[in-house]
Amino acid sequence: MSGSSSSRVHQGRILVEIAMRNLVASRVRTTVVGGIVALGVVVVVLGSSLLDSIDAGMTRSIQGSLGGHIQLYNAASRDPLALYGGTMGESVLEPISDFARLKGAVLTVPGVRLVVPMGIDQAMVSMGNVFDVALERLRADVRRRMANGPPAEDPEYEAHKAHLRRMATLLQQELRQAREIADETSGVYKDRKADFDALARAVEGGFWEHFDEDPLASLEFLENRVAPLSMDGGFTFIRYVGTDPEAFQKAFPGAQVVEGAPIPPGQRGVLLGKLYAEEWLKLRAARRLDKIREARDLHGRRIAKDEELQRWVKENTGQTRDILLQLDPVRTREAVRRLQAALGTKESDPARLVSALLDTDDRNFDARYRIFYAELAPLLQLYSVKVGDFITIKAPSRSGYVSSVNVPVYGFVEFRGLERSALAGMMSVLDIHTWRDLYGYLTPERAAEIARLKERAGATMVAREEAEAALFGGGDAPPAPSSAPQVIDENRLLAAGGGKGAREDLFLRRYGQAETDAGVALNAAVILEDPRRIEETMPLLVEAAAKAGVRVKAVTWLEASGIVGQSMKLLRMVLYLAVLIIFAVALVIINNAMVMATLQRVKEIGTMRAIGAQRRFVLSLVLVEVVTTGLVFGGLGAAAGIAIVRVIGWTGGIAATNDTMYFLFSGPALIPRLGAASLATSVAIVFLVSILSALYPALLAMRVTPLEAMQSDDG
Amino acid sequence: MRNASFLALFLLLAPAAAAPLDPEATDQLVRTIDERERNSGDWKALVYMEAKEKDKTDVVYDLVVYRRDKEQKLVFLFLEPKTEAGKGYLRIDKNLWFYDPRVGRWERRTERERIGGTDTRRGDLDESRLSEEYTAKWEGDEKLGKFEVHRVLLTARTGVDVAFPSVRLWVDQATGNVLKKQEMALSGRLMRTSYYPRWKKVRSESKKGDVWYAEEMRFYDEVEKANQTLVLVKSIDLRPLDPNLFTKAWLESKSR
Repeated sequence: MSGSSSSRVHQGRILVEIAMRNLVASRVRTTVVGGIVALGVVVVVLGSSLLDSIDAGMTRSIQGSLGGHIQLYNAASRDPLALYGGTMGESVLEPISDFARLKGAVLTVPGVRLVVPMGIDQAMVSMGNVFDVALERLRADVRRRMANGPPAEDPEYEAHKAHLRRMATLLQQELRQAREIADETSGVYKDRKADFDALARAVEGGFWEHFDEDPLASLEFLENRVAPLSMDGGFTFIRYVGTDPEAFQKAFPGAQVVEGAPIPPGQRGVLLGKLYAEEWLKLRAARRLDKIREARDLHGRRIAKDEELQRWVKENTGQTRDILLQLDPVRTREAVRRLQAALGTKESDPARLVSALLDTDDRNFDARYRIFYAELAPLLQLYSVKVGDFITIKAPSRSGYVSSVNVPVYGFVEFRGLERSALAGMMSVLDIHTWRDLYGYLTPERAAEIARLKERAGATMVAREEAEAALFGGGDAPPAPSSAPQVIDENRLLAAGGGKGAREDLFLRRYGQAETDAGVALNAAVILEDPRRIEETMPLLVEAAAKAGVRVKAVTWLEASGIVGQSMKLLRMVLYLAVLIIFAVALVIINNAMVMATLQRVKEIGTMRAIGAQRRFVLSLVLVEVVTTGLVFGGLGAAAGIAIVRVIGWTGGIAATNDTMYFLFSGPALIPRLGAASLATSVAIVFLVSILSALYPALLAMRVTPLEAMQSDDG
Repeated sequence: MRNASFLALFLLLAPAAAAPLDPEATDQLVRTIDERERNSGDWKALVYMEAKEKDKTDVVYDLVVYRRDKEQKLVFLFLEPKTEAGKGYLRIDKNLWFYDPRVGRWERRTERERIGGTDTRRGDLDESRLSEEYTAKWEGDEKLGKFEVHRVLLTARTGVDVAFPSVRLWVDQATGNVLKKQEMALSGRLMRTSYYPRWKKVRSESKKGDVWYAEEMRFYDEVEKANQTLVLVKSIDLRPLDPNLFTKAWLESKSR
């Protein structure tokens, strides 16, 4: 036995020696094949570390922003839960009527760290036109003065009046041109003339001197005759997650308050999505400047060569009205002084100065951008909503009625890694009490009230198909009985109805944890101690909830993330496919290289066979050569791949040059990270590919006979 | 000669065909509709509104409608249900405002506003101003159920802001009551069909005559076919209204 073993060792040594000699002797071939193997390993190491980093980043972003580890929602819902919206819009979910009960049940499941109530919806935020906003401010002053009596000095009130007069003056200038080109014979002109006359009155000193004599009538005149001439404003849509802000903050570290402060525990409030604020609430000229800067700095675009950038510049220079309307007379003087100094001009017309500032080209852009933010922006309100303001959110509720709620803005929130995602970055965070008011869950009391009103009216609905026959098929001419005028006393009726709808300052209320939990929610995010236990925990959660009488569906964070989750799955597939293609190409190239190499050595192999080498020996010889090449060059490739990954990391990563890349990278740059497991797997796969690709040439070599070798004219 | 006698006999015996309304008669028809519904003094009506929408709970309101037709002013004040009490609309100088006392804010709305989220528009509860807002064209005479009606097409005049740019009316020949309306978008697409099966009149001292009003209105949404709205006018009060009623301050005071 020991003799046979010693002979095998001896054979093996000879095999390795011949293989090494062959490799060294055929340096060119070895280098080419080894280079291909090394390149394959570099690509695989780099690709897998990029894929791992993207996957881990997006997982972290979604789990840490809104998804959690598991999401629960009412099992009776027709739609699947889509946290970031589905392709058909917002999912319609049946409510979880008692979140407290679900929370109690879920927290009994081992490994559950937190349960966060959620309700995602969209609503409208009324912005009004700039005149309406300014008039609302003045009306509040008038109300205050009527309630408390006018103070001896009221600078705020006077400033608001002066501002409105200036706005009317600007509007008059703007509409003057329209009047000049109007056809004086047309009927429209008569209406327009009445508008111009109203505007002229709003600019006159006499109107403002007599304003205080009847401030309500003066306000009504401005609101109904002047403000409609300013054609702007309206509504914007807001998408929000109603939640328990304290629990949300603990569960989702990715949601960061970038300005202002978190919603205080137990209070009502909203954190507006930063991207939403940038896109919808920011002064348009400032937003366009930001976009031009980003296009220049990040994407290398130039105003001189880019039509879109030129259009933005043109819009900025032509649309200075938004800026001028914000400036009251004092601020206008200050703006003129600052801009004259910064631009080195003696121009005194504010409109021309602002237009000159915004008339940017590639040469002056950076300086003008700096002047705008350093000199002009401090005099402006850059966002139509700022921290501390109240916004009115209005939503069609589930009970059919439109609900409106005033809610204080505590700050702006950004979801780390999803800042630029149009789907995720637009999300605002709202306290769950306000959300419940907007959601308008139809309580049994409200349903009973509606039934009572219907019964009192005695009305019956008629189906559309039967309407004409039912309403007009009766025959005779419809009766026209006279009815005697009656007395309608709205005060008595309002009192009898049980409510006068007085304004409730709900935001002053404080809520305990039990109050926050007790009520409706649409879904719940579950955070686990160990995120690797998602799959095994899901059925336990469903079972625990069922025992408590709440039927829920459990889905992973990836399933719940809707379009975002689907794009992430797609991305994974694309990346895996790319890696697969790289392997396939490497396999073919290595295989071809080895076949060529084997064919070149027919004579040598034949000679070896002639002097007694067995076929197995020849097979082993080729395999040893390939394995050695794979190990040496695979190792070199892995080292090179690691080095490249490290260098990319040290140089700040791969910069995201557009929003899609920003989303994929979960941030402004992708810093690839090496995972030991994926590194080992990559090297093993390349090694395996090398061996597989050597099998065919090895079989060819094995079949070479001494006769073929002698017949060969090679060499 | 013999043929001519037959033709004369045929024309004599044939049922009288509908004589088309000439443009002047058509305009007069529409002016009469407005005139019958016009009240020169103030107008106050207690109204019940019920809307059914697909996949939603029914929406029901009791509200008061205030009109001062001479000045084209209008107020809606919602009374019930409790959550809606104190909300209202105010129309002055072609501005339509909405007020919600819970948030204490006024919002500017358009003529296309769906009152209280139902399929009712401002014009459905306001004074009829069809002859001011539209030009009329007779389309034919026909039967609606058992009623003989004129069918008239109305097209919005230039520069007038109305909820629907064209409207088709079915007017009872016997009484002059509008029994059916079809309202179309600019593209001609049918948006809403309305029925007015019950009309009443009330004696107005200020007008020195009768004021007609539809006691029952039924609106069928032609886009969302499952949606319909019913409006019932429960009572009318023709006493002069508070001179300051058509102001923001008055509507605000109702919820204080």
